[in-house]
Amino acid sequence: MIRVGIDIGGTFTDLVAVDDEAGKIFTVKVRSTPRFPEIGFREALERLLKNSNYAGGRIGVIIHVGTIGTNLFLGQLGLEKPKVCLITTKGFKDVIEIGRQNRPRLYDVYFTRPSPLVPRQHRLEVNERTAADGSVLTEVREEELQETLSRLREINPDSLVICFLNSYANPHNEEIVKNFMVSRLNIPVFTSYEVDPEHREYERFSTTVVNAVLAPVVSRYINSARKGLETLSIDAPLYIMSSAGGIVDSEEVVARPIVSVESGPAAGVVGASQLSSILGLDRVISLDMGGTTAKAGAVINGKPLVASEMVVGGEVHMGRVIGGTGYPVRVPTIDLAEVSAGGGTIAWVDAAGVLRVGPMSAGADPGPACYGRGGDKPTVTDANLLLGRLGALLGGEMEVYPDMAMQAVKQLADSAGLEVEDACWTILNLANLKMAKAVNLVTLERGLDPRDFTLMAFGGAGPMHAAELAEYLGIDTVVIPPHPGLFSALGLLTTDMRYDFVRGYVSVLDDLTAEKIEEMFRELEDAAVEKLASRGLDPSRGRYTRSMDMRYFGQGYELEITVGRPFNLRDALKNFTDRHRAVYGYTHEGSKVEVTALRLSANYPVEKLNLEDLDDSEDSRRDAARTAYFKDGWVETEIMDKKSVKSEMKGPLIIEEKDTTVVVPPGWHVRKVNASSLLLRRSA
Amino acid sequence: MAGDRLKYEIIKHALIYLSEEMGVSLKKSAYSPNIRERADHSCAVLDARCRTIGQAEHIPVHIGSLPIGVSNTMKFLKENGEELAEGDMILVNDPYIAGTHLNDVTLIRPVFHRGELSALLANKAHHVDVGGISPASISYSSSELQHEGFIIPPVKIMEKDKIRSDVVRILASNSRTPYNTLGDLRAQVAANLLGEMRLKEIFQKYTFETFMDAVDYILETNYRLVVSEYSRMPRGVWRGRDYLELEDDLLKLEAEVRLDGERFSADFTGTSMQVDKPLNAVYGVTCAAVLFAVRTLLSEDILLNDGFTRTVHVVAPEGTIVNPVKPAPVSGGNLETSQRIVDVVYMALAEAMPEKIPAASHGSMNNLMMGGVHPATGRKWAFYETIGGGYGARYGLDGVDGVQSNMTNTMNTPIEVIEHYYPVKFESYTFREGSGGHGRWRGGMGLERAFTALARIQVQILGDRERIPPWGLAGGEPGKPSEYLVRRADGRVERLKSKDGTILNPGDTIIIRTAGGGGYGRPE
Repeated sequence: MIRVGIDIGGTFTDLVAVDDEAGKIFTVKVRSTPRFPEIGFREALERLLKNSNYAGGRIGVIIHVGTIGTNLFLGQLGLEKPKVCLITTKGFKDVIEIGRQNRPRLYDVYFTRPSPLVPRQHRLEVNERTAADGSVLTEVREEELQETLSRLREINPDSLVICFLNSYANPHNEEIVKNFMVSRLNIPVFTSYEVDPEHREYERFSTTVVNAVLAPVVSRYINSARKGLETLSIDAPLYIMSSAGGIVDSEEVVARPIVSVESGPAAGVVGASQLSSILGLDRVISLDMGGTTAKAGAVINGKPLVASEMVVGGEVHMGRVIGGTGYPVRVPTIDLAEVSAGGGTIAWVDAAGVLRVGPMSAGADPGPACYGRGGDKPTVTDANLLLGRLGALLGGEMEVYPDMAMQAVKQLADSAGLEVEDACWTILNLANLKMAKAVNLVTLERGLDPRDFTLMAFGGAGPMHAAELAEYLGIDTVVIPPHPGLFSALGLLTTDMRYDFVRGYVSVLDDLTAEKIEEMFRELEDAAVEKLASRGLDPSRGRYTRSMDMRYFGQGYELEITVGRPFNLRDALKNFTDRHRAVYGYTHEGSKVEVTALRLSANYPVEKLNLEDLDDSEDSRRDAARTAYFKDGWVETEIMDKKSVKSEMKGPLIIEEKDTTVVVPPGWHVRKVNASSLLLRRSA
Repeated sequence: MAGDRLKYEIIKHALIYLSEEMGVSLKKSAYSPNIRERADHSCAVLDARCRTIGQAEHIPVHIGSLPIGVSNTMKFLKENGEELAEGDMILVNDPYIAGTHLNDVTLIRPVFHRGELSALLANKAHHVDVGGISPASISYSSSELQHEGFIIPPVKIMEKDKIRSDVVRILASNSRTPYNTLGDLRAQVAANLLGEMRLKEIFQKYTFETFMDAVDYILETNYRLVVSEYSRMPRGVWRGRDYLELEDDLLKLEAEVRLDGERFSADFTGTSMQVDKPLNAVYGVTCAAVLFAVRTLLSEDILLNDGFTRTVHVVAPEGTIVNPVKPAPVSGGNLETSQRIVDVVYMALAEAMPEKIPAASHGSMNNLMMGGVHPATGRKWAFYETIGGGYGARYGLDGVDGVQSNMTNTMNTPIEVIEHYYPVKFESYTFREGSGGHGRWRGGMGLERAFTALARIQVQILGDRERIPPWGLAGGEPGKPSEYLVRRADGRVERLKSKDGTILNPGDTIIIRTAGGGGYGRPE
């Protein structure tokens, strides 16, 4: 069977096709078409069929990312968002716009709010009310719904959401309105209870609205992608990577587009997860350093760490989304921190004469100065080139111009009062500093010590920086996966299907609630079984994992704790206490513990790519040696290809692969391990 | 040389990061809603000379006042012959020392290196209740500091790395919500210890000597950046005058602002004398408000460390509402007076750089304190929140609707959370249409937030801009003033003053309408 992974990045669309029987792997790179990603998607497939001479019918499965959803929230692409209407509780139509009433930037008097996804005139109120305990205080009246309906017909929206206060405790009123509207309007209708039945109204409403904004667009995209497949005579199922790192069928993505809104960045972490299992590494930091940014994620015991809330369309500052700049969405999402530290990130000098790196980037066009495409700003790649770490791009297929890099960096060095090599070294270290911050966000802030981890670095620039970044973090082991430049596309082929279910339930834990909790978990399991069966999957093959959001009574933030089946109160409390100690350093002995939500994830195994079977040792151009700059200055450094790494070899050493360069600094050793990976170790 | 500078840069980032990390830990594990949902806290690392070297961006009023509080605390300890030893942690909430109001409890951890005091870690957090005459402690009825809660001069809450449970018990016994107090204190202690661990890692990795050199470098480069920005600003002297409402009277704030290309000074001579109402802002708060206003004129890259704060000079005559003498009550000083201090400084600056200064924002935190006995549990409860309003219009840009402005940036508490824990039912949370001041660019709309009592509830309001609306600029009209109303169960509507208290009986509804922002430019 031929499995195809298609990853759509900001600049390039990467396709990887793995032919199990022939033991062959094909790669295709085409330019992305961000406004209509299906064009790049189809072009990549067409190119694959041409290069490989495969008939479309031989393709067994296509796994893809949900880029269109992400792109919809990228302001610079100017994609038009669908018209969504909101029906909400009387007196609360502005909740969705007020947000949490904080402003995104403390010291910026010119700040703005993100514009509301549903403008004020499209938010309709009805008289209804449910209390915090779930009792219905005011029933919905049909006459009022009739009026609302005629108003909706005037507005003529593309989708509709129903968001009522306290509906997480009882969806009765939301369901009544939905049933009424669904039978009368031919558009997607979502209730907040279906999309995100958890407490805190703003976050629940926002999640539901984002889902409704995505729905028409994602559905159109999936349809055109499918049509593209038809024209190529490809009859393979189309799966989408979810933000949580599992794959879901395209029907699910159309019904709940919210599950795949951050699927692009998830793929690399998913690949890192499988590789960490193959290599027997229980704690791995995945670091994807590309052209404009670097993304860090943590993998523990072969599973990526997943957060239950994220923000779409927000502005990022130092790895974190600035609160209040985007739209919060509560959906399981691989926990990633992103910083502006890529090969194209620009270095500059501030008014105090201090050298700084980012956040501006030269991107791929014009790109770093050394590309010779008109870029005159010094970048991280230019610094790598001038320090002898980078010899060639794309195995020599792409020309580089050291003199242009020199010109750009010289100017910078002069205004900072530094020698060129010191300026270059400083640029590399400042980029590493940013990446260290990203790593800290996904480890230290989760109560994890980065020193207990192995750093797995990929993306075009990752392997060049990995060892020194590891040193800064106090990490001794680095892994470079196979095909580092295409590793995200490969990652798409390495995971199981996953469906997530949640139920909001705020209550102090005791024996009484324990029974209720078991009952609710069973309901969630029934829902999961039903979902798998509806997809033609055998529910008995699913793996079901229960977890709960827990906190000490009085706290405002929860920890997600895995719990057993059947639910055991004492074990759950113990797991919570242990985790609280690990994260915050202390516990409140004897205090009451509260649950706020129950979660169930259903994983369904599929046949997938085993990274262990890959062999990517292609030949490329070789120098014998050159001088390269490290911590203690210039050193004569041997250059080789991956094939030549036989036994354990001692740094300094530079390994040039077709799509990346691996730097092994003095004091580090390198050897080849399983799955065509390289293992770098710091000498004791 | 380049190697050293690189190390200093790394240390600079590590110091900011460690204070952010302290903040995250504190916020996520604290109990008081003010800290956990609304981020009413801040964390910093200071050198042995009490100069801030790293600080996370939290609440502006804390950011400016925390260093002053730490420095006053160290002075107090010295004057009283208290020696600091390794393993100590100091607790203080006396606003005349720690610099805000009694609810803000500051914890300071001295860090020693080879037996010498080498740095200080500090965090300050708003506890929901510290005793005093009414729930949530902040009360307009207080006429002296003792009414506003327990007053703790600097004491050791930790000795030899052990928490002094006797001290903790004194605090818990004096709070209406001892459970929260204990939880918050634990979270604050843990945050300082986390900061210390990170700081010692820096000492170990780069040597203590390099750390000390880095401190000088960090402060000096920041200072140079600030001064280079001042040098591009106009030079001169400008004045502003604005008012705070005190029942039927008004309190006057006067500011004379001076820019000379190297430093920024604000002189509050002419401001009203202190009052026996909780509207006095201790000197630390006044400095914090001025620092905030100045910081908004500077570029994003400026750090909040001593290199910046040393360029700002504040003259506040003793005995006035911007530098009161003990025991004047101060609980509203950093809530309301601090907002007006920003307004007068902005008003003066609007003349100097009209395109950089917004029209007045809603200008009040609209503090709502309430409490009572929960009918379901029979337990006492207390709740405190602040409500945003309209942000002033800017040159070229409308104001922002329903948002926290200037000296605060707390988040609202979700309605579903409040209704789950307290006996209230919300009626509305919405923009107040037509409240933004007209102008070429419109001021932001205020908010309406209303809820009905389901049990007997004691309510206190500490608001403002009910009589004197937020001003417009360049011909823009003022925003609509705020309204604080009670609709009794029988339908009668009562109007409350901006600083007032009342009892809500079941069925009574309180309606708070916050002011709109001022407009900018003549309406077209």
